[in-house]
Amino acid sequence: MMMGTHQLFKKNETYNGLYAMLLVNRLQMLYFFLIMPNILINPYMIWVLIAVGLLSQLNLLLLSKWLLTRLSSNGYNGFVQLFGKKLVRFLSFIGLFFILLKISVITLGFSEIVQTFILPSTDTNFLVFFILLLCFYVAGRGVEHTIRFVLISFFCTFWMITFFVFFVFPPIAQLSDLYPLIPMEWKVENWKAVFLILSSYSGPEFLVFLGPWLKTNNKTFRYLSYGNALTVVEYVFLFIASLFYFGSNFLSKTQYPIINMGRYLQNPVFERIDIMMLSFLLFNLVFAVSLFLLLFYGASKIAFGKMSKPTSGKGLLFSVFLIFIGMVLVNELFWKSWEKQNFLLNLQIIAGSISYFLVPLVIVLVMKKEGVKKHAST
Amino acid sequence: MLLHKKLCKRLILLFMTFWLSGCAPVTENNLIEEISPVTFLSISKGDKGKLKVSTIMPPLSKENKFVMSQEVSLLKEGVQKYNFNFYQEIKSGQMRMLVISDELGKDGIMSIINVLLTDPDISPRIYLVLVKGNFDEYLESQLDKDENFDYSFYRMLKHYEEKNQGELTVVNLHQFKHLLYTPYSDPFLPVFKIEEDGVNYEGTALFKDDKLVETISSLDERIFQLINNDHYLKVLPIPEFEIVLGHVRSKIIVDIDSSYSTMTYTVNIDTRIEEYRGEKQLFDPQQLENMKKDIETHLEKQTYELVKKMQELKVDPLQLGIQTKRPFSKPMEEKKWIEMFEKMDIKIKYNINIDPLTDANSKRPNL
Amino acid sequence: MFWKKKQIESKLVTQSIAESELSIEALKKSLTQMDDAEFVEIDISDIRKIHLVYIRTLIDQENLNESIIKPLTNCSKPSIQDCIVNSSIIPNHIFIEAKTKLFSGSVLLFDSSQNLWLAVPLKNPTGRAIETSETETILFGAKDSFSEQVEQNITLIRRRLPIHELKTEKFTVGSMSKTSVVLMYIEGLTNPEFVSTVKEKISEINFDLFFDSSQVAAFLEEHQNSIFPQFQQTDRPDVVAYSLGIGKITLLVDNTPFALVAPITFFHLFQSPEDYINRWVVASFLRIIRYVCFILSVALIPVYVALTTHHYQMIPIQTLLVLVESRSKLPFTPFWEAFIMLIFIEIIKEASLRMPTKTGQTLGVIGGIVIGQAAVEAGFASKVLIVMVGISTIASFLIPNYLMTKANSLIQLMLLVFSSLLGIIGIALGSIAILAHLNSMSSIKQPYLSPVSPFFGKDWVDLFIRGPLVKMLERPEHLKPLKLKRYKTRR
Repeated sequence: MMMGTHQLFKKNETYNGLYAMLLVNRLQMLYFFLIMPNILINPYMIWVLIAVGLLSQLNLLLLSKWLLTRLSSNGYNGFVQLFGKKLVRFLSFIGLFFILLKISVITLGFSEIVQTFILPSTDTNFLVFFILLLCFYVAGRGVEHTIRFVLISFFCTFWMITFFVFFVFPPIAQLSDLYPLIPMEWKVENWKAVFLILSSYSGPEFLVFLGPWLKTNNKTFRYLSYGNALTVVEYVFLFIASLFYFGSNFLSKTQYPIINMGRYLQNPVFERIDIMMLSFLLFNLVFAVSLFLLLFYGASKIAFGKMSKPTSGKGLLFSVFLIFIGMVLVNELFWKSWEKQNFLLNLQIIAGSISYFLVPLVIVLVMKKEGVKKHAST
Repeated sequence: MLLHKKLCKRLILLFMTFWLSGCAPVTENNLIEEISPVTFLSISKGDKGKLKVSTIMPPLSKENKFVMSQEVSLLKEGVQKYNFNFYQEIKSGQMRMLVISDELGKDGIMSIINVLLTDPDISPRIYLVLVKGNFDEYLESQLDKDENFDYSFYRMLKHYEEKNQGELTVVNLHQFKHLLYTPYSDPFLPVFKIEEDGVNYEGTALFKDDKLVETISSLDERIFQLINNDHYLKVLPIPEFEIVLGHVRSKIIVDIDSSYSTMTYTVNIDTRIEEYRGEKQLFDPQQLENMKKDIETHLEKQTYELVKKMQELKVDPLQLGIQTKRPFSKPMEEKKWIEMFEKMDIKIKYNINIDPLTDANSKRPNL
Repeated sequence: MFWKKKQIESKLVTQSIAESELSIEALKKSLTQMDDAEFVEIDISDIRKIHLVYIRTLIDQENLNESIIKPLTNCSKPSIQDCIVNSSIIPNHIFIEAKTKLFSGSVLLFDSSQNLWLAVPLKNPTGRAIETSETETILFGAKDSFSEQVEQNITLIRRRLPIHELKTEKFTVGSMSKTSVVLMYIEGLTNPEFVSTVKEKISEINFDLFFDSSQVAAFLEEHQNSIFPQFQQTDRPDVVAYSLGIGKITLLVDNTPFALVAPITFFHLFQSPEDYINRWVVASFLRIIRYVCFILSVALIPVYVALTTHHYQMIPIQTLLVLVESRSKLPFTPFWEAFIMLIFIEIIKEASLRMPTKTGQTLGVIGGIVIGQAAVEAGFASKVLIVMVGISTIASFLIPNYLMTKANSLIQLMLLVFSSLLGIIGIALGSIAILAHLNSMSSIKQPYLSPVSPFFGKDWVDLFIRGPLVKMLERPEHLKPLKLKRYKTRR
């Protein structure tokens, strides 16, 4: 199991645009899309979904600009060149908290769903432990293999969306469920929904750190956009399906709309499709958490000035252990009570929006200031 | 030796994480031979505002079955009480039907629906059924005769639900909830009546919000199936004209004028004559045309009365209010709609298209 | 530390022998206590004596008379080399080389008058005739298979690929067994990376005995602890020729009928030679069936355990009625029930392999009755489980690769444990672990899950389906062949 862990961050291969596309798409389909309709509620939010999707496109443009520079393929050294050593250490220290928050929210959120629908008497801490253990195994294979895992995660999860085609046909679908199509009044809660959408589009900003492994050329932006567009389609489709199924009046009352819709589907062999769905969603979760684990480990090495030391499985294990303890604490202190969980969710909504917005923007601005030129690698 | 130490360290770390995670892997004991997944619950009114919850035990195995009932104030309390009385644990994950007595229906069943909705074990596909008469007694009497009464009953409902068989109203939890919680619509349920010869389908129960207000049966019920539920009927007998229409398919066009004062409700029907015992020469196009006109006016009158009844009761199971929704305007409030609905002038129009007769009937002697 | 020293010592010893001068006495000395070592003197004329040294059991004795003794006795030419057709001089009288030749089935000749050592290969050809493959049987298609002689095997391949680019490079591995290993590849087509990787690995081998190609493979594999084979073992020359033709390398090991083919991917384990013989629609269907059967054989029983212990909600009520009925009187929980039955099945499988064919029938009857009937009647297992065990066992035999069939049971047991712990979620966790493992694996440094991960879209034409041959105009991209196109480019 420990074999090969000493070269966690080795770089033998680079991955082309297809991987970038899938990375963008899968990192956007983590947890928030499961609860999103519950907060969006009103049919006219479809337009907001699309609009924020376009905004995210803009972000990806900035991101691709960074990925095209030679600095990005230098990894750590590139960042040092851009910001200076001290600032990089400071930034990666802050990044640790962002990653920890993100991992906590998606893992705890998912574990809670599993607890609600599948294993009601199992403690979520235990599920978290198992998930993290598995993520440690996946992450221990190294960055290369983890990036490659996105394909498996994609093939194991993407087809599930076809289940929901059932909901967009009569008798469940009635066009009137989508009315009114334009907002007649704008409530305060709608702003929360907008930020939630923004935050759920976040995730691709972590690609900034994967520069060394991505083969970039002038088609990169196109592939990133494909991934983003796929996400927009998935979000809109799921939201419309949930509007048809629940009607916008009931949407606010159901906590996990997408999973509840899965429960209505019936297969002659397995009656509870939601249980199958959740198991398959685990693939995507494990992939994302493993990637974040590696980033966390890398960032902590930078933050504590241990760049010169070789990577080791032990170090990764230690950071997994830290994350596990952190997550158990978060779970006990925040997640298990409803209001505090809401606070944490709001925190992640804001943190996700901020990181998605600021990371590419700041990097591009600094790049402009430093006068870093593009290079067209083929 | 070094390896040994390393392994030891790792194991200790593993155990520490286990210990930190606070518990061993506890999962619910759902061994299928140790649980009793009830297939249905029958709920009726008990004494002093209590609920009477009963079911057949054991639900699945072929042991001696018996009817178990409990008087409780809360539904889930009943399930718990079962556990104290029976050697197997009761689970609700395989629930297929909920049988509600009509008296309870009149009081409102919102709380029961909510219980079902919040339990993630209970599928939103369970069938809701209203029963007139004492269902528990009937169950007792059935135990000796029919071992799998509950299962057969479930299969019957399932049969008519799939592919819109056009015979009975079948409503599952999701549909009921959807009609209950969306504005401008009211739910409905099938009603079964307990008689000496068994459980008979009576018609459809109309709810105002969560309260039973009216049961429609016979021709009204047929019309209701035709214009709302299935849009399909296998047979539609009209005794007044000694005729049976078969394979009736309907298409509905609803048109509300801009002031919301009149509504034109057009029903287009495609059908064929299944049986005729009257004196008319239906091969004659003229006579057939007359027949058609007669049926149209008859159905229009009947439907008008049905809708009128709905207007008086202020229930809208036909979801007519949805027609007022527009893509670019704010939806009106439900109360306002109901007020309007009450006063609305509703015009019913039937267009019947009867397939020409086949030559099977041409052998009649008077031709 | 000990072992390094020993190694050095042994090297010293071999060196000293290698340096010693080749002579009859020296040979006699080193061949003491060998019953089948023969030293013969033949007088050609009064002055000329020829010494023959050979190992009786290794050479063809009839041929010895025909091609050495007869020509020698009639020899009138001054050099005996001219009389014997295929002889070769051993230069500089190197002892170790002479000995190697001797033990590979050559006759050593010593002409004392000229002080000349000659070696004549006279290997005993005794061995199997070319027979039908028993491990990869097919109905249609070529019936020949490899035998234990490496030369003959090369012939079989060469017949199918009569091109000069097909290279064979010979290596000797095993300090005691001296097994010759032949590396085959097509120059200008196979990626030179593969060749150099394998060569490097072969040169690193330091072991004494190699009697089977799988033992050689064990030294070439990068993931020793994995249950998945990283080399395809086949005894079918057509499979080997096809693999060479699309840009793989092949290792033939002497004395084993199984060639090693690499690099392979996980999906190669599901490809049968018959796929390329059947019509493509049929072949694709069969291939999909094979994948489905793999999933069935691995997951069916774990799913059964998960459903019956954790997720009774998932079972349709009709099925649940049957399940409760059949499980109600059983003493074991589903996990133990399944575990015992699976172990039992493994025992029967193993026993039926070891038994002679005639007793094998008895075994089948006893196994069938004991499992099928008695276990149910005695109340050890439920009828439903018996059906499932049957299905999953039969399904596991559909996988063409025999080594994979064995790995199946282990995966199944692992998933079984997971499913009894956490139900369907446990199965998902287990399969993620397996997929992550496969994803990180490699076969001679090529990713094991390609063309799925990493993704090569064009290769999907021959992955889950077997596309029409006329559409497969390019060699699989994931093998990185130097020539991608399979057709001649028109001018």
